[in-house]
Amino acid sequence: MEKLVVIGAGMASGRLLEHLFDAAPEKFEVTLFNAEPRGNYNRIMLSPVLSGEKTYEEIVTHDDAWYAQHKVTTRFGERVSGIDRARKVVTSPNGDVPYDKLIIATGSDPFIIPFPGHDLPGVVAYRDLEDTNAMVKASSVRGAHAVVIGGGLLGLEAAAGLRLRGMEVTVLHNTGHLMDRQLDETAGYLLQKDLERRGIKVITKATTKTIAGDGKVEKVTFEDGSEIPADIVVMAVGIRPSCSLGTEAGLEMGRAIKVDAQMRSSDPDILCVGECLEFDGNLFGLVAPLYDQAKVAAKTLLGEDDAFKMRELSTKLKVTGCDLFSAGDFADGPNREDIVFRDPKRGVYKRLVIEDDRLVGAVMYGDTADANWFFGLIKDGTDIEEMRETLIYGPAFQGGGGATADPLAAVAALPPEAEICGCNGVCKGDILKSIAGGATTLDDVKAQTKASASCGTCTGLVEQVLAVTLGDGFAMPTEKPVCNCTDLTHEDVRRLIKSQELKSQPAVWQNLAWKTPNGCPTCRPAINYYLLADWPLEYQDDGQSRFVNERNHANIQKDGTYSVMPRMWGGMTTPDELIAVAQAAKKYDAAVKVTGGMRIDLLGIKKEDLPAIWADLNAAGMVSGHAYTKGLRTVKTCVGSDWCRFGTQDSTGLGIKLEKRLWGSWTPHKVKLGVSGCPRNCAEATCKDIGIICVDSGYQIGVGGAAGMDVKEVERLVDVATEEEVIEWVVAFMQMYRENAKYLDRAYKWLNKVGLDWVKEVLADPAERQALVARFDISQSVYQKDPWAERAVPSEAVKFQPLADLTQEAAQ
Amino acid sequence: MNDVMEPPVQTFLRVAEVWVPEGDRLIHKAGDYGSMEGFASASVRESFAKGEGLPGTAWAEGRPVVLKSFDGSYFKRTQAAHDAGLTSAVAIPIFAGKVLKAVLVVLCGGDATHKGAIEIWKDQGDVLMLDDGYYGEAKDFEWVSQHTHFMYGQGLPGAVWAANMPILMRDLGQGYAFVRADSAGKAGLKTGLGLPIPMPDDKSMVLTLLSSPGTPIAHRFEIWDARAEAVGASKKAVLIDGICAKEGPLWAQQNPPVDPPTVGAWQGPVGQVLGSGLPHVHSDATGLPAGYSTMVGLPVYRETELAYVVAWYL
Repeated sequence: MEKLVVIGAGMASGRLLEHLFDAAPEKFEVTLFNAEPRGNYNRIMLSPVLSGEKTYEEIVTHDDAWYAQHKVTTRFGERVSGIDRARKVVTSPNGDVPYDKLIIATGSDPFIIPFPGHDLPGVVAYRDLEDTNAMVKASSVRGAHAVVIGGGLLGLEAAAGLRLRGMEVTVLHNTGHLMDRQLDETAGYLLQKDLERRGIKVITKATTKTIAGDGKVEKVTFEDGSEIPADIVVMAVGIRPSCSLGTEAGLEMGRAIKVDAQMRSSDPDILCVGECLEFDGNLFGLVAPLYDQAKVAAKTLLGEDDAFKMRELSTKLKVTGCDLFSAGDFADGPNREDIVFRDPKRGVYKRLVIEDDRLVGAVMYGDTADANWFFGLIKDGTDIEEMRETLIYGPAFQGGGGATADPLAAVAALPPEAEICGCNGVCKGDILKSIAGGATTLDDVKAQTKASASCGTCTGLVEQVLAVTLGDGFAMPTEKPVCNCTDLTHEDVRRLIKSQELKSQPAVWQNLAWKTPNGCPTCRPAINYYLLADWPLEYQDDGQSRFVNERNHANIQKDGTYSVMPRMWGGMTTPDELIAVAQAAKKYDAAVKVTGGMRIDLLGIKKEDLPAIWADLNAAGMVSGHAYTKGLRTVKTCVGSDWCRFGTQDSTGLGIKLEKRLWGSWTPHKVKLGVSGCPRNCAEATCKDIGIICVDSGYQIGVGGAAGMDVKEVERLVDVATEEEVIEWVVAFMQMYRENAKYLDRAYKWLNKVGLDWVKEVLADPAERQALVARFDISQSVYQKDPWAERAVPSEAVKFQPLADLTQEAAQ
Repeated sequence: MNDVMEPPVQTFLRVAEVWVPEGDRLIHKAGDYGSMEGFASASVRESFAKGEGLPGTAWAEGRPVVLKSFDGSYFKRTQAAHDAGLTSAVAIPIFAGKVLKAVLVVLCGGDATHKGAIEIWKDQGDVLMLDDGYYGEAKDFEWVSQHTHFMYGQGLPGAVWAANMPILMRDLGQGYAFVRADSAGKAGLKTGLGLPIPMPDDKSMVLTLLSSPGTPIAHRFEIWDARAEAVGASKKAVLIDGICAKEGPLWAQQNPPVDPPTVGAWQGPVGQVLGSGLPHVHSDATGLPAGYSTMVGLPVYRETELAYVVAWYL
């Protein structure tokens, strides 16, 4: 019999031995080393053992009897110290073992991020039964806290298990959504919601600084100074091949031990299986390819032909009750097309990624019934052109086609008992009755049946029922949807973001049944604005959802350069500021223009110079004038009672106070203010979004003026007696506009829709005004900051550097 | 697993019966009474109006009802139960949305070794509290259970509530949430089956069956997934978890599962639950796994859809 030595009793080598003993039970005399003091168990089932849903005994794949039956000499709990290839022996503290053939199956080691404190007692990886038992032990302390670093497969399974054991669990993940390697943003959002429902706290974009404690782990601290208690920290951030034996034995190495398609290392008598090998540049972590390797290695040992091939992999999370599936590649790409299906009520999300008429990726959450069928299409590279229209509905819809391809035909085919409005339990038949009774509009149906009266996601469906039933008698509503990603209007979206407390973009895409994975250039800026306006503390502004001027905090000009305009409060400036502006203009070769808004514009600044000129102007005490934003622009004032013979009040002072209160806030569209000291109106306040005319008795506040494509005089909102009242009313109006207007509607357009009377009625209530002011101030606590100062620091400034110097000419 | 390896002297649940609505009454559909012929014949003649007797009370209240003693209660078959040595019962109404599908009644006897637990946990806003329970002689564990609670996601009840699906746990004694762990271990309660019980008022309770080695609830437990999200449009179910004293673990050893056991509607005893949407009590060995002679199958609904089937075998 040939001597076969196997180093590592993991899932790959276990499967290899099974194949060998099945095919040629008497061919090899096997010695099996394992550093763990036990034989082979189903390592990927440690998570249910951690949670208590399985026992360790249940996941043992090869017990003592099995090893005895196959006459395997087991050397468990013994770490191999080296391989002497010249003598063909494996060296170990308890004695050398000769081999004819050697299998290295040493697997992988967990990766530990070297945070300060990573070596404290209580910091564990999640790799083997010892780690699992350590976690079970930690969970036996009442009220104990666990922190899991890593929101990937293993980390989340650990978190769910520890929670089931009774711990307070927090998951820290350094990117924007959980399982970011397997899931897209929406599926990650649904998973996070599912985990939070289990009482697990999830922190994404976590910036962990240290693990701290006196003699043992006690807390985890973050870059912002905050901290969370921790009785145990589980580090589940990835694995790295455990291949030092290969290096020391002089085998050819890459990132792991290199093997050919027969699983042979550079020494043909030494084979590898599992996570310790590298094949064709690939490393391995999931079990399916390991089993393939085991099969191939067994055949190689038996002298039979076979070759390992890479194959598509799919992912399943072992958290009871979380149904998710991910396979293939679902990154965005220029030739890729998405098909998205969402059912907010059932928490279902499906996304298919198609390239060149082939399905290349699939992500599913909540409904994975057809996952295997989709996986087959990916693996086989099936041409899906013929079934593209109905592909998302799965195999059951193939062949029939037709009805689902045309939405109206599909609606027409629905039986009367088909539910249209899940929120209010309204069937198609109810809507048909309502139409038969005279309803001809969406509002009629809504009033009579309550269909689409709650979440509104069935609005399109109700309209289709109207269209199918009334034909030409039904005119589709004039208010257009936000874009092609949704059937909802801006107003619907705003209402639903508030009523459903949607606080992130993925929450909007999923709960409002967006038809695209993550919006488009039309809807993303609007949704970004609505979210930050409604949830200033919870939502984080997304720069990628902004137009280029807002991203770069400067207006791009026709020649590709930018304009820079510092704020001059109420149009007032100082000699020092003017000197700084002049010096900056000279230094950066800017054209200088005095604007209609009483500021100085520096034109022709190169993008890469922006951080430097901002820093120079910051140094002189100046901040961004936000001349590029949907936000407060300028507050134009006249000289007022300090200087003017006709001035009735301190218009300049009031203008400065208003500007200092309002600057930095994001609004649906730009907002310009004017404060004139008398009815002669030198500051042209009567054509501003908000204009104040000072009079002897106090102040006249007008709103809804315009002097652009439309020219319009303000309408009187209120007359008040004091500056404090002016500020309160203006701030409250501004907040009302922020909370209610459609994105890109100037104030006058918004007022045309809602009516000035309604605005007056709301603002006339002192409690309402104060509540609006309070909400505005909360928002300002987040957003009233100078974007120039934030971007003038070196770490941010580098983002303004060109990626390549395209001005250089190629050498001839 | 050792707790169910040896044939028990006595099982925790001695009778299981199914009552279904017909008109304005609940009538007897099926039952497993073992050798208790007297109680069986008293039962098949019986029917209950809404609010009448134990099944009728569960129907009227729209929630599981525990009856720890029959004497002086509304239980209608007290004498026959006494004669059969039965001392207590739990009635579990099965609702599909607001429609009552059936009432499953299980009855227990009483002797000094009779340990196990049937518990009903209620959502109290942010925690699950014990609503009621029957523990046989596991008195210490009963007291502890009455004085504990579970956060969502914690312990078997919290896990069932959070996942909204049946869950089988093997390791109650070692880690069943702090205080209960120690006490459950002392009572020998190692294996637990938890399932959500939806109520017609859209709320949900959690039912747990905790099994001890001396008087086990069953030798085999199975959980079948019948959701369209998991199995597609056809009416079938796949086995997602299970333990068996004879066959060992019943869950798929591959990840993702390769060809897990599947049953269609009306196919075998589990298929009866799938097909009818009703609890099924199977009292002979035909169609059961080898070595078993009785089975109780219980449908678990999500709103009006049958989502899971749980089954236990003796």
